[in-house]
This record gives sequence, structure tokens and C-alpha cells, in this order.
Amino acid sequence: MAFVQNFPFMSIILSLFSGPLCSVLDGKRARRVNAAVIVIIGGMSICTLRYVISAGRPYVYRMGHFPAPWGNEIRVGVLEAFMACFFCAVTLLCMLGGIREREAQIEEGKQNLYYVMVNLLLCSLLALIYTNDLFTAYVFVEINTISACGLIMIRQTGRTFEAAARYMIMSLLGSGLLLLGISYLYAVTGHLLMSDIRQQVQTIAATGQYHISLMVALGLMSVGLAIKSALYPFHAWLPDAYGYSTLSSSAILSSLVSKGYIFLLVKIFYRVVGAQVVRESKVVNVLFVFGIAGMIMGSLSAIREGNLRRMIAYSSVAQIGYIYMGLGLATEAGSIASLYHVLSHGATKSLLFVAAAGLADASGGSDKYGDITGAGFRNRLAGVAFTVGSLSMVGMPMFSGFISKLLFAQAAVGHTHKMFPTVIALAISTVLNAVYFMKTVIRIYTRRPMEQAGGSGAAGPSPDAGAHAGMPGTESLPGAGRQVSLWEQPAKTAALLCFILLNLILGLNSDPIVRLIQSGFEMFE
Amino acid sequence: MDALLLVPIALPLIGGAALLVSSFRESVSGGRRGPGAGEAAASPHWPWLGRYVAAVLGISVVSALAAAWTGEREAVLFTLLDGIPVYFRVDALGRLFVTVASVIWMLAMLFGFVYMRREGKEKRYFGFYLMLYGILMGLYFAGNLVTMYLFYELTTLASMPLVLHSGKRESIMAALKYLFYSLCGAYGGLFGIFFLHRYCGSLTFAAGGTLDPAAAQGHEGILLIAVFAALVGFGAKAGMLPLHAWLPTAHPVAPSPASAVLSAVIVKSGVLAAIRVVFYIVGPEFLRGTWVQRAWMGLALLTVFTGSLLAYRERVFKKRLAYSTVSQVSYILFGLSLLTEDAFAGALFHVAVHAAAKCGLFLTAGVFAYHFGYTKVEELAGMGKRMPGTMWCYLLLSLTLVGIPPTGGFISKWYLAEGALQSDAGAFAWLGPAVLLLSALLTAGYLLPVAMGGFFPGPRGSAEPLERREAPPAMLLPLVMLAALAVLSGIFPGGLAGYASDIAGAVLSP
Repeated sequence: MAFVQNFPFMSIILSLFSGPLCSVLDGKRARRVNAAVIVIIGGMSICTLRYVISAGRPYVYRMGHFPAPWGNEIRVGVLEAFMACFFCAVTLLCMLGGIREREAQIEEGKQNLYYVMVNLLLCSLLALIYTNDLFTAYVFVEINTISACGLIMIRQTGRTFEAAARYMIMSLLGSGLLLLGISYLYAVTGHLLMSDIRQQVQTIAATGQYHISLMVALGLMSVGLAIKSALYPFHAWLPDAYGYSTLSSSAILSSLVSKGYIFLLVKIFYRVVGAQVVRESKVVNVLFVFGIAGMIMGSLSAIREGNLRRMIAYSSVAQIGYIYMGLGLATEAGSIASLYHVLSHGATKSLLFVAAAGLADASGGSDKYGDITGAGFRNRLAGVAFTVGSLSMVGMPMFSGFISKLLFAQAAVGHTHKMFPTVIALAISTVLNAVYFMKTVIRIYTRRPMEQAGGSGAAGPSPDAGAHAGMPGTESLPGAGRQVSLWEQPAKTAALLCFILLNLILGLNSDPIVRLIQSGFEMFE
Repeated sequence: MDALLLVPIALPLIGGAALLVSSFRESVSGGRRGPGAGEAAASPHWPWLGRYVAAVLGISVVSALAAAWTGEREAVLFTLLDGIPVYFRVDALGRLFVTVASVIWMLAMLFGFVYMRREGKEKRYFGFYLMLYGILMGLYFAGNLVTMYLFYELTTLASMPLVLHSGKRESIMAALKYLFYSLCGAYGGLFGIFFLHRYCGSLTFAAGGTLDPAAAQGHEGILLIAVFAALVGFGAKAGMLPLHAWLPTAHPVAPSPASAVLSAVIVKSGVLAAIRVVFYIVGPEFLRGTWVQRAWMGLALLTVFTGSLLAYRERVFKKRLAYSTVSQVSYILFGLSLLTEDAFAGALFHVAVHAAAKCGLFLTAGVFAYHFGYTKVEELAGMGKRMPGTMWCYLLLSLTLVGIPPTGGFISKWYLAEGALQSDAGAFAWLGPAVLLLSALLTAGYLLPVAMGGFFPGPRGSAEPLERREAPPAMLLPLVMLAALAVLSGIFPGGLAGYASDIAGAVLSP
């Protein structure tokens, strides 16, 4: 056994045990430990990825060499290792981008607790990615929920308590359903290890025994994970949770946490239950319908929203809808498109959150829609980054969103029943996305009347001022805007630049990545 | 990989982006556009900005023409998705569009140097103006459908800031309207691309089409729907019904040189996209005689007529010109939809003629707005006495659009009518020329009275003394050149017509 094969297990353990370590350090040291741990895990994941690619097939790692059912297994394929790399990269960038906000919004003595939560979260995400055991997956789903709750609640305002409570209730409901589903499956098949369950399910499906139980189990697990990843109409907890928590939390929650659950669902579909049974069940159709509903309703809510961060949060509802629509197609191409969109949305949504924080920074800390007028001029990089993110979300060519749109449509074309609904939903959703994102981009690049008068140096008031005052929302100007230079927060600048780069790589050089996903997906079988 | 092909795409993009982030001080948006506003205070940086823009655009145009006219070139940038590279290639059609756009871009830049001093925020204007040129070159040199789509979308994005230039509420609303129409349209195009990708041998352009008959067997119905969606979608940019409404909203609020290039060049990107899809991917034979061809012809003819009628009723000068664009570009689309060689050649001829004529007309509107703040048609009475040079240019350009010999418009409309009569399109073969004739009468009805009132104001205009106040040479020169081009293309049509016929022959009887 090559030494590299230990890396996935070591990365889970490392992030798990660096949590307690952070709890006895002070805030600054904890931050450094946390960053170092993420970098080390990222490095190990890259090594694992290279190993699996060169090996050309997945491997199973038994903890302590105990065979099932006593031992616990993790299974590493290309897709798992790649996701781990991606999650580490995005976590690191989110943490980097939100340093200033964390220092300002979290109490002095609780800084280190934040890093405990982040380490636990990363640990649970890695475990969800790698594990080959359904019950282990459930355990880490719970750890994930608890740590995510902590991330929301650590910024102590009334809003976040409420948001955290909502999140907790909805998430626990989801976990409960997942647990029920797993126990059903255990009762029917007698196994908890994914590969063993799969063999049993195939025999059961072939004989037609326990058909209803199997469907119930599949349905319960799907609905449970759908609730946890905020599929419409279970999205009510999401805008508050993403909108009011501290910056790193919203970025991580939106781009990674929900994606971990989705990845687990993909694993359940294609490694536990098997593509054939999933395709024949009606569960995917339900997911498809709600995915499409989410794409449209999420965007409609975002259009009505008057707060920038909540708007971005509602856009997540729409994007999660895309992913479930792809899964709902129940074809390989559809799932690959969904997995690509997991990456694309992960890279874009965190970019948008960090950029929105930069814009708010330049507007007196307010992220109300009316106050960010002209913020693109006051914080240039954040303005550019927000524009890039918006264009990607709308699905403009050159950015990652376009590729996922293309992949979704390619997957849909040729599908007998779901072709037209998919393509039409994509069309409507594209236009709706454009409505609120382009509106915002234009707003951040529209100068405020006072700035025009002041910036132009003219003696009299600018003649355009009257026209501007006519814009809704600009009547009450707080005037708290300030110029934010590129070097003021080097960490955020670096994070934004990396995010933009990541987005362009995903958008322009998608071919190798899609291939990687494809080969990883084939290793599921 | 041919680097010269990438220069005209990359250089203006980089140059424009550099200008946008540079620290050039812009001149103040001092006065409202209005009579007697005089020369706005130009900033000390102004000559440098002008020289910089002229230099970047000049080098780009020279390299674009050199790349287009010196032999076959192709370049693969990188692979976007499996089997879909970002791929550029020079071909006969692209050459024509590159040349037309380059000429228009240089002349409108010259005009803009004077005009935009009044308008302010020149840095933003010229930054996006340069970038747009690079994007258009990418569009014209695109060698496959996805590359073309990529640059098509970018065209929308980069031209939007030109529309919302003034930053007033109405212009922002107009820009959003433009954006949504274009996005909806582009999605229609993308919808078509999804299906074509499945049923066509490749998405690389080839004269006559790349449709794989074996793969398309049994899927003709869905393929026709896809092509129709693409035609309607790309028709949004070209102002074809039912997605034409952005044109009359966006043109009047944009600065005049911006509306000039919007109308002369940007709307033609919709035409180019339609040509690429129909004649270079699907192939004209697949569409001949189908409901898609009939619907396309019907929509184009309806647009020709409706556009003229709305222009005839419109009192705001630039809005009238915008409706005229709606109508005239659909002449081109009608010519394409006939799928005959003569009509195709006429359509391409009209691309060049309409670009010159409509650019010139919008620039004259700019001259009037710049000097007098006039935007209504009635206000232009007596203008021929004040600015005879401008008004003469206006008259010649109008005659071109109406299609009076010996101007270029006559040649293109002759070819279009000829092509329609030769075609086997049933009722459209005679209905088409009839509608074109009717629309030409309406065109005369909405363009010529302005010139007549300009030269012979009658009793209304004689109330105030009319002193002569000709436009400055930098504004007049582009006008004169455009008018000369429009007329000369009619007197010496041989070269352009032969070139267009060659392309028509290549795509329709390969």
C-alpha cells in the first residue's frame, strides 16, 4: 500500500483534532493553525488526486484493517479527491476574504471557537466525501449541522440567533428523515457499507421484493438531504442564515455546506442504490420538478429583495435548483452537469459574498440596495469581482456559469420527456438572473449625485444630479461611503483575485475538469 | 496559430480596458446639451486621450484589415469543451463585415472626438468603444458557432455602457431593456446551438452547411424548431419582430456616435449570426420550402413594413431613424430568407450600404443635437440654410436608403427584388417586391421631408434670421465620406456586388 493512500484518512483526522487544539489557543494563533491545516489538507488532497489519476481506479482504505461489518471504510476515487481539493481551496479563500469581518463581528474571547467550528466543518465535509459507510455519513452529517449552526450563531445578534434556530430545526428535520431512510435501507438489505448495500439492492430489485420499502427509503433520504441543502420549498431558513452571519460563514455555508449534502446524495444515488433503480423510481422526477420550481422562485424572490447579501442568498436557492434539476434528469450527463455546477456555484457564490462585503465596506457598512450606489467606483476590485460573479451567474460565455448552462442543456437535449421543461426553465432562469444581477451591476457603477458634483470639481451642482435623484432608493443618502484602496485589506484582495481566477479557469478551461468529473463519475460504478 | 489574427481582437480589448482603469482626467460634463452651450471646457488631458484612442484603434484597424485580406488564416486559442475550441478563421463573409465595421468605426471615432467632449465621461465611452471593436473582430473572425456565440454575448455587454452613457434614469432603463432583449434573443440562439451540436457533423463553419443527414434523420421537426428559435433569437439584435422594441428605446438615449455604430454595425451582428447558422451550419437546402423559411420571410416582411410605418408616424428624429433601422435591417433578413443567390448578394450589399447610410444619418442627427439641441423633426426646418454641407450629406444618405439610382441602395434593392422574383417561394415571390416597394415609398415619406423642410423652410422658418453655422470639419468629414461611400457604391457597384455574388455562389451552390 502506497503511503499516499493514507492521506484521505489523515486529512479527516487532522482537521478533527486540530479543532480541540484551536480551542486552547488565542484567536490569532488559532487562525494560523486553521490556515495551516487547510493548506496541508489541500496539499494532501492534491497528492491523493494525482495518485488516483495515475492509478486509474479507486481504492478502498480500511481503518485498522478490520473487515466490514466491524471496520469502517473510506473509498477514494478521482471525483472524491478532486472535490476535497476544491473544498479546501474554497474554504481557504473564504477564510482569507473574511478576516476583517470576523475580527469586527466576533467577540474577542470567542475568536478561537470560530476556528474550531471551521475545522470540524471541514472534517465533516471531507468525511462525507470519502466515506464508504452510510452510517458514518449520517454521523458526519450531524457534525456538519452542529458546526454550521455555530458558524451562523457566532456573530451574536438577534437575527443570527433566529437564523441559527431556524437552520437547526430544518436541518434536524432533514437529518431525521435521512436517518429514517438509512434504517429502512438497513432493514431491507442488512448492510451499512455502500458497496454491500448496492449488491443487495440489485438482487432485491431484480426479484421485485421490498419494492415499496426501497422506494420509501430512497424518498426519505432524498427529501432529507434536499431539506438540508435548501431545495425549494425547504429554503426558508437560507436567506437569514446566509444574509446575517459573518462573511466567511455565509461564503462557506453557501458554497460548500449545501454542496457536501448534494455530493452525498449523488453518492447515494449512484453508489448505494444504483443508477438503474434510481432512474426507474419516481423520486428523481420529484426532484426535477422542485429543482425547476426553485430555479424560478428563487430568482423571483431575489428580484424582490432589497438587501444585497440576502439577494445573493436567494440566488443560491435558484442555483441549488439547477443542481437538482440536473440530478433529476437521472442521466450520467445530467449528473456531470450538476457536479460541474457544484464547482461553478461554489466558486462564484463565495466570490459574490466576498465582493458584496467589499462593496458594503465602501458604503458605510450597509448592504442595503439603495446605499451601494456607485460602490464599484469606491472599491474597484470588489466592483470588478462582483461583475465577474454576476456575469458568471447569468451564464455569460467566458465564465464558469456558461459552461454549466451548456452542460445542462447538452444533458437535456435528447432526453425524451424532460428536454423542453429543462431548456425552457434554463431560459426563464437566465433572464431572471440577468434582471437582478445586471441591475445591481449597473447600480454599483452609477455615480451618486454628490460624488458627481464633488468629484467633478465644478462650482455648481451637476446638471445630472436631478436625474439621479429620480432613481428609487437614492433619496436617503447616508453619505458614509468611502474609498477603499487595493492594499487596505491585502487578504481580501488576494482572495478576490484568486476567486476571479478560479472562475475564469472554470469558464475558459473547462474541458479537463469535465473530463476529470466524468472519469471520477465512472469510478462510482 | 496565426498571431496576426489575434492582434485586432486582443489589442483593442487590452487598450480599452487599460483606458478604463487609467487615471486620465475626463473633461467635465459641463453643460446640458442645448442651444448656445458652446464648447465644453476640455480637460488638459484631452488631447492625450484622443491620441491614445486614435493610435490603438488605428493599429487595430490596420492589423484587422491586414489579417483579413492577406490570405487564409486560422488560430485555435484553446479548447472550451470536448470538441469545441475557441477558434478563429478568416473567410469571405468575415472579410466583408470586418471591412465595413472598420471603416464605420474609424469615422464614428473621429466624429465622437468632437461630440463626446460635450457629453463627458469620454474615458468610459472610448474605453468601451475600443473594447467593442475588438469583440466585433472576434465575432467576425469566429470560426465556429460557439466562438461566435461567445463574442455575440460580449457585444451586448460591451455596447450596453454606450447606451446608458448619460447615466440618466431613462437611459439606464433603455440599457436594461436592450440587455434583456439581447439576452432573451441570445438564449434563443443558444437553444438552437444545443440542438445543432447534436445533429450537425461539426460546429465549424463551412459554406453550405455541416448538417449530418444521417443523424438528423427522423428529427427534422425538432431541428426546424431549433433553427427557428435561433433565427428569432438572433433576430432580436437585428431588430426583427417580435423582439424589435429595444431599438427605438435605446437609440435616442445613446450619444449620437454610439447610436450610429449601434445601428450601423452592432445590429448587423444579428444578421451575421443568422447567416452563420443558416448558410454555414444548417445549410440552405434543409430550410428550403419548410415552414421555417415561410415564417422567416413573413416576419422579415412584416418588420420591413411595420418599421417603415412606425418611422413615418414618429416625430422624434433619432427614434424615426431607429425605426428606419428596424425596417432596413429586415430588408437584409428578407433577402437571406429567400435562399436564392441574387437575394443573398443583395442582402450582403445592403449590409454595407445600410451601414454607411444609417451611420451617416445618425451622425447628422448628432450634428443637429450638438449645435442646436434639436431632437424633433419639426425643429429641423431651415437647417439647410444654416448647415448646407450637413444637409446635403443628409439628403444623399436619405436617397441611398430610399433606393434612388444611382445610389448604393438602388443596387441592393434591385438585387433583392430580382432574387425574390426568381425564387420559388410562392406568394412571397411577388409579395416581397411589393412590400419592398411600399416600404421604399414610406422611407421616402419619412426621410425626405426633413431635407425639404431643411432647404425650403417656408413661412415658418423665415421668422428668425438664419445665420450659417456649419459643423466643424472633424464632424463634417465623416459625414461627407459616408455620403460619398453610399453614392459611389451605387455608381461603381461592380467590385462589391461581384464579391457578394461570389459568397452567395459559394454558400448556395457549393
